[in-house]
Amino acid sequence: MSAATIPEIITIALAKSFADHEVGFTGLVTGAAAMLYGTSIPLAAMMFAKLTHAPNLTILLAGWSHNPDLASLAALPDQEFDSTLLDLPCEAQTVRYPGQFSFKRGHVDFGFSSGVQLDVTGSLNSVVIGDHARPKVRLVGPILQPEHMTIFRREYVMLPHHTARVLVEKVDYVSGVGYPGGLAGRAALGIPEGGPEWVVTPECIFDFDKEAGRIRLRSIHREERRGELAGVTGFALPDLEDAPATPEPTAEELDLLRRVVDPRGLLLGRAPEH
Amino acid sequence: MASASFLPPRRTIPFPDRKVVTMAEAASLVPDGARVAIGGFANYQRPMAFVRELVRQRRRDLTVVGTVSGIEVDMLAGAGALKKVETSYVGLEKYGLARNIRRRNEAGTVEIVDYPEVLSFDRFRASRENLTFWPSAYLGGTDILTHNPDIKAFDCPLTGRKLYAVPPADPEVVVIHAGAADEAGNVLWPSRRLMPQELDLDTAQSAEMVIVTVEKIVSNQFVRRNPTLNMLPAYRTAAIVEAPCGAHPTPTLGRFVIDDAHMQAYVAASASDEAFDAYLDEWVRGTADHAAYLEKLGAAHVMRLQEIATI
Repeated sequence: MSAATIPEIITIALAKSFADHEVGFTGLVTGAAAMLYGTSIPLAAMMFAKLTHAPNLTILLAGWSHNPDLASLAALPDQEFDSTLLDLPCEAQTVRYPGQFSFKRGHVDFGFSSGVQLDVTGSLNSVVIGDHARPKVRLVGPILQPEHMTIFRREYVMLPHHTARVLVEKVDYVSGVGYPGGLAGRAALGIPEGGPEWVVTPECIFDFDKEAGRIRLRSIHREERRGELAGVTGFALPDLEDAPATPEPTAEELDLLRRVVDPRGLLLGRAPEH
Repeated sequence: MASASFLPPRRTIPFPDRKVVTMAEAASLVPDGARVAIGGFANYQRPMAFVRELVRQRRRDLTVVGTVSGIEVDMLAGAGALKKVETSYVGLEKYGLARNIRRRNEAGTVEIVDYPEVLSFDRFRASRENLTFWPSAYLGGTDILTHNPDIKAFDCPLTGRKLYAVPPADPEVVVIHAGAADEAGNVLWPSRRLMPQELDLDTAQSAEMVIVTVEKIVSNQFVRRNPTLNMLPAYRTAAIVEAPCGAHPTPTLGRFVIDDAHMQAYVAASASDEAFDAYLDEWVRGTADHAAYLEKLGAAHVMRLQEIATI
């Protein structure tokens, strides 16, 4: 069996972090790299978890299709509300807001989001680069990020590009709140729960010293990239020397992933090799 | 500020004296500077024929209040019709950034007021329930607060919890695109529907001036055979316009798919003010009305966009 790809390594790492009976929310992100990190890897990870230790996990695809039959698809849909998804068999379709679940009662255990900048406190930006009134670059807007980072019980920030422009000391605009001032800081802002759990990039996984409110390196996917990481990251990496490798999937795990979860390469097969 | 009445006035803008009107008549119900909500979601089922008519009539200084915005707001921005949009997103999804509004926002000529997505829905629920604000617990720490003086912090009078009062959507005029309506103004929702169609209902119920463009005007008997689909009875609508394929190039669920080729042409034209002006000259100002627009698209092209939802 060929060695695990980076998307496969990330998929298994994510899958093991989900607990049985949890509800996982993923949007339908478009654009090759963004879709891989924002939608396909999360879907593969949740499916893997359901087949192993978390059979009662609920997948909320695009936030409305409950446990869809992805095996019946010829390609991942690229529009959230077109007829491909309308006709995709699933256990429940949410056609109304509010519908089968309540965002604000914490029914979503974990979500996946992305952004254009992420900073050392874990705050996320998808609104502007530069000044808000006269931005250098106007981006799409906050979308569901404020909710992802507060009323979802934890958040996986999925960044398809690991560069110093994305991973910055301070974001230009906070559309999703991390841990400014640590957990105490969040509590003072009126958000005692939620927040980013991991930040996943093609290079590594970050987590947080939540008390201190500071991002830290959790693991590195490829040992040979350890020396390059500081150069592509816009903040200091004090844990660089000590960070372990992201665990390599076992042969059994890779077999299940390739043969059962994603037999046609719909999710991870289009993965550009890093 | 204390108000003498607590119910919104039924009619702030005079209704036409008959329900079924031309697109030009319907668009003239939206004055310059109006606060408008436009039905649909992202790039699904937008009343684009109506938006094009606003552009033909050279409407100015509109404020659009939305949830997840797309081509409808980008076209108004590119035509110089838009002053401000209040929304959680402006973009073209898989077609990329909305380049007209981006350019104008960066130049400082169009203002974007950012709201979180769920709260952008709640703002319409607030209007629907005639509430003066919607309470939110989770805005602390965001720059949404930094740049929006209309959102005010307060302490919950019952628990003391720190909350934020978010203003309701309160559009003056709502325009949506639906499948069918009768001449009296009863509007039928499709039996199988998704979030965009359901959200249209919240949008439609957030104002008194409700304009509906429809794929087809049907008989009152047809409405009576499907009374549970009549989600917007005649007393809730001000004007009905028949506009087949009226959401083009966005899809209408069960009727038309998205026009991928046209979306790509739109995106290409959005690269500069000059190119977009040429697009508007060709497709909007250069067509006298929606019938002429469909004529220009061509019957063969439009027929290929048809979707068969049921057989």
